[in-house]
Amino acid sequence: MATIEVENLSKTFGKTVAVDDVSFEAQRGRIFGLLGPNGAGKTTTIRMINYIIPQDSGKITIQGVRVSPKTQKMIGYMPEERGLYKKMKVGEQLMYLAQLKGLDASTAKKQIRYWLERFSASDWHSKVVGELSKGMSQKIQFISTIVHDPEIYIFDEPFSGLDPINSELLKEIIIELREKGKTILFSTHRMEQVEQMCDDICLFNNGKVVLTGNLRSIKKEFGKNTVLLEFQGDGTFLDELDDIRINNRSTNFAEIRILNGLDHQEILKKAMERAEIHKFQLVEPSLNEIFISTVGEDNIKNKEELQA
Amino acid sequence: MSWRQVYLVLRREYITRVKSKGFIAATILVPVGFVVLFGIGILISVWESDITFEIGVIDQTEVLAPSLEEMNEERYTDYSDLAEDSLRTLVQQEQITGYMILDEEHITSDKTLELIYSGSGGIQLLNSIQSDMREVIREERLQRAEVSQDIQNIFETSVSLNSRRLTAEGEETEDDTAFFTIVGMAMGFIIFFAIFGYGGYIMRGVIEEKTNRIVEVITSSVKPIELLSGKMVGVGALAITQFGIWIIALVGLSSIAGPLAASMMSDQSAQMQAMGAPEQAELPAFLDIPTIETSLIVYFILFFLLGYILYSSLFAAIGSAADSETDTQQLMMPVTIPIMLAYFIMFHAWRSPDSMLSVISSLVPFFSPIVMITRIAITEVPFWQIGLSMLLMVLTFVGTMWLSAKIYKVGILSYGGTASFKDIAKWIRQ
Repeated sequence: MATIEVENLSKTFGKTVAVDDVSFEAQRGRIFGLLGPNGAGKTTTIRMINYIIPQDSGKITIQGVRVSPKTQKMIGYMPEERGLYKKMKVGEQLMYLAQLKGLDASTAKKQIRYWLERFSASDWHSKVVGELSKGMSQKIQFISTIVHDPEIYIFDEPFSGLDPINSELLKEIIIELREKGKTILFSTHRMEQVEQMCDDICLFNNGKVVLTGNLRSIKKEFGKNTVLLEFQGDGTFLDELDDIRINNRSTNFAEIRILNGLDHQEILKKAMERAEIHKFQLVEPSLNEIFISTVGEDNIKNKEELQA
Repeated sequence: MSWRQVYLVLRREYITRVKSKGFIAATILVPVGFVVLFGIGILISVWESDITFEIGVIDQTEVLAPSLEEMNEERYTDYSDLAEDSLRTLVQQEQITGYMILDEEHITSDKTLELIYSGSGGIQLLNSIQSDMREVIREERLQRAEVSQDIQNIFETSVSLNSRRLTAEGEETEDDTAFFTIVGMAMGFIIFFAIFGYGGYIMRGVIEEKTNRIVEVITSSVKPIELLSGKMVGVGALAITQFGIWIIALVGLSSIAGPLAASMMSDQSAQMQAMGAPEQAELPAFLDIPTIETSLIVYFILFFLLGYILYSSLFAAIGSAADSETDTQQLMMPVTIPIMLAYFIMFHAWRSPDSMLSVISSLVPFFSPIVMITRIAITEVPFWQIGLSMLLMVLTFVGTMWLSAKIYKVGILSYGGTASFKDIAKWIRQ
């Protein structure tokens, strides 16, 4: 049984269909990535899984239980729009949030002490959150998400607004949680983060799921049909190629997706005529490329954002 | 609804606010303000003698000036031996406040009197000069007409009214209408300010949670309705705490201040009597406090709480729809207007508590908390009216709570811009 099961989920706001017949499953001990451009319906889906807003139709179960106040307590959620009470002390705040998640005071106290020590933040216990630096309060935010030791973790755009140190820290936490056998779901519009961390993915566009499954097998399915090219000299030959799509282009680099079975040796030949080739490699397509070829270039909202 | 969650929310609301500097400052400063006001009240009545305004009189009749001087020695001075120009100079040098020139015609006809003065003293001075003049001229006219003493006595007639209330049980009780009018006004005022004050607390709290971006973290553990009710009860408990402290402080202080002021008064009146001013010996009216019935206090608390719950959920809804505190002005309108109307109707109810307008508006749920309590304090309101107004308020509360919960639920999760009334209507229909 999957930890999070989403079946035929739909949600409409007025005339806009935010989530349209979405289904996917997230498994225990794995990291599940929800990706797609901003406005694709990721946050709405996550809010419904967290029982913050109700779905119009469809079914969501958490460990076999339909979403309810009870399932809320099984989840640690860090929303994209996140913050803390500025005037409350760190300790009081964590205690309040932990108790809201159903912890009793003494267990909460132990957990809070453990995590503050773990992040070498024990001195902050009696500090008012408003006095903390941004990095510090981000750490407190992590603690508030995981303090009740839930089975499931949901992070909505977790890396946005994080400083590099905290980004690394969060990655470590996520990997550690996976090793402990927890279920992690996170959303992002930055494809490269998914490539680095996720086991399974679900691609969203305009409220619909366009692709879902295991990241490795999805990539394998697409085959080695992408050329990474590094060169020195005149790059205009790239413009003369037909039946290709160039995803990542700079003065001396290009990521070329071959369409319609064009022979990649043709590309190499043309390139050698005009420039000096430093590298020519045939690879699996990037997730970004997979997304574009699945959705079709014209159907992507907020396309620029995908170019991470 | 989970009561544990509501309790956790209300406890946080209560504890963080009760410990805040703003709350402590307000709680202390209000009784201090009361003491200061009370003290000023005593001081004013003890040293009632206001600043004297000296009016010079050039009297060509030779009779009016002496009687004016006799009437108020400090105010009027006979300057008949000086020329008008010298008096003008005196006014300009601010040695006297003003001057009048009186002649025979003022007695024989209703010729308009003319006062030339520096402009200080205000309407009160003008009124008292007018009445002084009326009196001396009338007296002089009566004198000249050689009317009998009887008729002169008729002109001195003064009527006083002493009223007692007859209760349904046939008892006559002391009528303290004047006092209870003030009490009723005060209670209406307090509820008016309390609704704005505590409602504002809730509204700002909701906006703060939105701008701090903590609200989504909270809603992943708590239902919006739990959060809303927890807030309302928490701030309500805060209001009760604050009022409790004030009432205790008030009772305590007035039990000390009453006798203290009375002893000061008696010292003062002893002096006054020695100086031959027995009419000053009475205690100022505000120290002679008739007892406020317990039922009035109970009604006050009930109407305060009903008014609070009726309006506070709406304030929360406004907060949830706004993006920042400065954006609330327009959204506040539908809530501000009924409260302000109630406030203005209170002034009418205070003068005629049993008029049609007063009765009907005291039954309108949005006006009741302010208008009805004023009426209850001043007049005998039939119980069915009180009961009906409370029932209507409870029913309306169910409606406003339902409405607010709908707005609140959507509003707290909408970022980036204050919602328009059109948006809010959409949220309600959702």
